[in-house]
Amino acid sequence: MSTASGIASAPRTSGSRAGVGLGPARALARRAFRDARIRTISFAYLFAAIAYIQPVSYRHAYPTLASRIAFAHSFADNKAIRLFYGEPFDLLTVGGYSAWRVGGTLAIFAAVWGLLAAVRALRTEEDTGRMELVLSAVIDRRSAYLAALVAIAAGVVILWLADFAGSVLAGLPAGGSAYLALATASVVPVFVGVGAVASQLAPTRRIALELGGAVAALAFLLRVIADTSSGVAWLRWLTPLGWTEQLRPFTGAHPAVLLLPAAATVLLLVAAERIAAGRDIGTGLLPARDTADPNYRLLSSPTAQALRSERASLIVWLLSIGAFAYIIGVIAKSVSSAGISKGLQKEFEKLGSGSILTPIGYLAFVFIFFILAVSLFACAQIGAARHEEADEQLETLLAQPVGRRGWLGGRLLLAACAALVLSLASGLLAWAGAVSVGISLSLPKMLEAGANCLPVALLFLGIAALAYALVPRASAGIAYGLVTVAFLWQLFGSLLGAPKWLVDLTPFAHVGLVPVQAFRGGAAAVMLGIGVVAAVAAVEVFRRRDLLGA
Amino acid sequence: MSGIGARAITTEGLTKRYGDTVALDGLDLNVAAGEVYGYLGPNGAGKTTTIRLLLGLHRPTAGRAELFSVDAWRDPVEAHRRVAYVSGEPFLWPAMTSAETFEFLAKLRAPTRGPDGRDVVGTDVAYRDQLVERFQLDTRKKIRALSKGNRQKVQLIAALATRAELLLLDEPTSGLDPLMEMAFRGCIEEAKARGQAVFLSSHILSEVEAVCDRVGILRRGKLVDEGTLEQLRHLSAQTVEVTFEGPAAELPELPGVAVTRAGVNALRFEVTGSVGPLIAALAEHPVATLTSREPSLEEIFLHHYAGSGGNVDG
Repeated sequence: MSTASGIASAPRTSGSRAGVGLGPARALARRAFRDARIRTISFAYLFAAIAYIQPVSYRHAYPTLASRIAFAHSFADNKAIRLFYGEPFDLLTVGGYSAWRVGGTLAIFAAVWGLLAAVRALRTEEDTGRMELVLSAVIDRRSAYLAALVAIAAGVVILWLADFAGSVLAGLPAGGSAYLALATASVVPVFVGVGAVASQLAPTRRIALELGGAVAALAFLLRVIADTSSGVAWLRWLTPLGWTEQLRPFTGAHPAVLLLPAAATVLLLVAAERIAAGRDIGTGLLPARDTADPNYRLLSSPTAQALRSERASLIVWLLSIGAFAYIIGVIAKSVSSAGISKGLQKEFEKLGSGSILTPIGYLAFVFIFFILAVSLFACAQIGAARHEEADEQLETLLAQPVGRRGWLGGRLLLAACAALVLSLASGLLAWAGAVSVGISLSLPKMLEAGANCLPVALLFLGIAALAYALVPRASAGIAYGLVTVAFLWQLFGSLLGAPKWLVDLTPFAHVGLVPVQAFRGGAAAVMLGIGVVAAVAAVEVFRRRDLLGA
Repeated sequence: MSGIGARAITTEGLTKRYGDTVALDGLDLNVAAGEVYGYLGPNGAGKTTTIRLLLGLHRPTAGRAELFSVDAWRDPVEAHRRVAYVSGEPFLWPAMTSAETFEFLAKLRAPTRGPDGRDVVGTDVAYRDQLVERFQLDTRKKIRALSKGNRQKVQLIAALATRAELLLLDEPTSGLDPLMEMAFRGCIEEAKARGQAVFLSSHILSEVEAVCDRVGILRRGKLVDEGTLEQLRHLSAQTVEVTFEGPAAELPELPGVAVTRAGVNALRFEVTGSVGPLIAALAEHPVATLTSREPSLEEIFLHHYAGSGGNVDG
C-alpha cells in the first residue's frame, strides 16, 4: 500500500488547481477516510443486517398471500407503527414490505452517519487545531474541504453497497435492491450538508453536533406528523426523511424525486464552502462566549463537576425521550384490533408483548424502544468518561487527592441516577400524552413501565463500564454494538425462527412489558445483579490499570 | 513540614515497561523535604513516565515509588494530599473559566486533618490572588479561549497556591514567555524559602541551573548522573585554554586530558579530575595566557549525550 507521504513527495508536475498539486488533497482524503473507518464499518454491518433481516423475516412470518392481506389490512390505518417506519405503500410483496421497513429504519441511521461524518471531518479537525497544521501545508481551504467530502463520499458508497448486498442476499431482485439502497443512501449526503453547515456555524464540535441533531430531530418530527396525521401528507416533501419515502422503491419508483436530495446537498455544501472560505480558521459564525462571570455551582467534587459538564447533554436526552414518549402516548389512541384475525394477532404476539393492537398493548410494546434509548444513554455516559480520560483531564483530576474508585464510582452513580430520571420521564410523559387524548390509563402503572427500563439499562451500564476498564479505546464500540445487537436480536430473532434458548440470550427477551405483562422481578434482579457485579469489577480493574490517552 | 531529613520522594528500583519498550529502568531516587531537585533529560528519556509513576497514574512494572513514605500506587489519594502537580501539557476543562477551575481544584483538596493532628494543605486563596496578579491572568476567560501559555499559568497558579509540601513540576514553563518564566523562578525561590520541596523536570538547563539544589540526569530510562552542581562540575571535564608565545608547544600525553587546537598559538584542554599534571607540564613552556572555566550545566548535559545519539523516542 502506498503511503500518504509517498504520494505527497512524488515528483508530480501536474499544476492543476492554481499551482496546488493533487497529492496533498489525496493524502488528506485518505487520512479522513481512515479516521472514519470504524464508524463506517459498524454502520455498514448494521445496514447489511437490517436490509437482510427484513425480507427474510417477512417471508417467514407471512408466508401466504392471505396472511399478507390480513397484515396489510391491520396496518392500513395503524399510525402507531407508521410512526417508526413511515407510510407503507405496499405490504403484499416482500419488496414493498422491505422498502417500508428497511427504508424507514435506515433513513434515520443514514442521517446520523452523515451528520457524524461531516462534523468529525470538518469541525473536529478545527476544534483540535489539526486543521491549522493541514492548511499550513501546500493546500488551500477549498481543496482541504473537497478532500474531506471525497472521503465521506467513499463512505456513502460503502453504506450503499452494504444495503444493496443485504437485500440481494435476502433474495430481492438486484435492480430493485440497488434502487432501495439508493433511496436510503440518498439521505446521507443531505445530512452531510447539514453537518457541514453546522460545522461552519458552531465554534465547537459539541455545538455543531447539537445543531445538526436538532435539524435531524425536526426532519424526523415532520415525517412523523406527515405519516400519522391526516391531511398534511404534503409535509413529507419538506423533510429528507420524507423524500426517501417518496422515492417509492418496489412500489412504483419515482426516481425524479432524487433531484430533491441532490439539490439540497449541493445547496448546503456550496453554502458551507462559501462560509468556510470567508471566516477565520478555528472559529464559527456563531459567537463563542469566551468570558463569563464565575459560576461556582457543582464544583464540590469530581462527580458534581461531571454533572456540570454533562448537564446540557442530559437535558437534550430528557427532552428527546420526553417528547417522543408524549407523541407515542397521543398516537396510541389510533391503535385498534378491529378486523384482525386471531391468527394474525398471534403473529403479533411474537413481537414481544402479547396483543399490541390495543392502545395499552401498543404502549407496552413501544416501551422496548425506551429501554433501548435508556441503554444507549448508559453507553453514552461511559463514552463521556472515556472522553475525559482520552483528553487527559482525568490525569489532572487524579493527580489531586481524588481516588479512582471515587471518580468512576461517582460517574456510574450519576449515570444510574440520570437513567432513572429518563426512565420515569418516559413513563410519565407517555401517560400524559395518552391521557390527553382520553385513553384511560393508570399513572403508577406507566411509571412502572418507565422504571422497567432501568434493569436492562443498568445491565448495559455495568458491561460498558467493564469494557471501559478492560479495553478503554474499544469500549464505545463494544458497548453500543452489544446494545444494538441485543435489541435487533430481540426484534428479529423469533421472526427468523431461531430456537427459544438462542433468542433468550438477549436481555430484552427477559423484560416483562408493563402494563400488559407483569413486571418480571426475578429477571430484573438478575440483570441488576450482573450489572452491579460488572460495575464493581470495572472499578477494581480500572484501579489497576495505567491511564491511557487518546 | 516534616522533620529534617524526611524524604519527599523515594523510589527503589522503579521500572516501567510499555510492551517491549523500557521507559524507566531501575530508578533509585531520593528527594529530601525542602529540597529543589532538577530532573534533566532529553525528550523521551523517561521524565514524564517517572512523574506518572510518582503520582500512581501508571503502575510500576517493578520497584516502588513513595511520596512522604506513602506508596503512590497503593494509596494515591493519601500520597497526593501533600503534593501539587503541574503537567507539561495543560489538560483542563475547556468550558470552565480560570476562576471556576481554581475553585474546582481547590475543592478537590479541601483541608483535611492529617494523622498527626495538623491541617494538611488546602489552598491559600490570598496567595492565589497574588499569583493571578503576578502572572497577569484574566480569570473570567474560559480555558478554551486561552493560549497554551495562559493555560499553563492556570495550572501553575493552582499548584503553587496549594502550598503543598512537594511540587511535582513537569516542564512547567513550556509555553511561558521570558517575563513569566522569571516570575516562575521567583515563585520557586519563594517555595524554597517556605520549605517546600520541588521536583522540577525540565530540559531548560538555565532554569534548572538557576533554581535547583541538586540535579539528576536521565538517559534512556536510567539515572546517569546525580549530585549538586558543584559535584557534577567536579566530575565533568573543565576547560582550560592556553595561548603560547610562539607556536603551540608539544605536550606529552597526560591521563584525563584531551587536547584540541584552538588557534595557531592556542590549545584547548578538556580536563577530567585534577588539573595539577597539566599545570606541571605547561610550566616548561612559554605560556602567554591561561583561562580556565567550569563547565556549564549545558556542557555537563551534552557530555552525557555526546556520541550516544541522545534521545530515545517513543
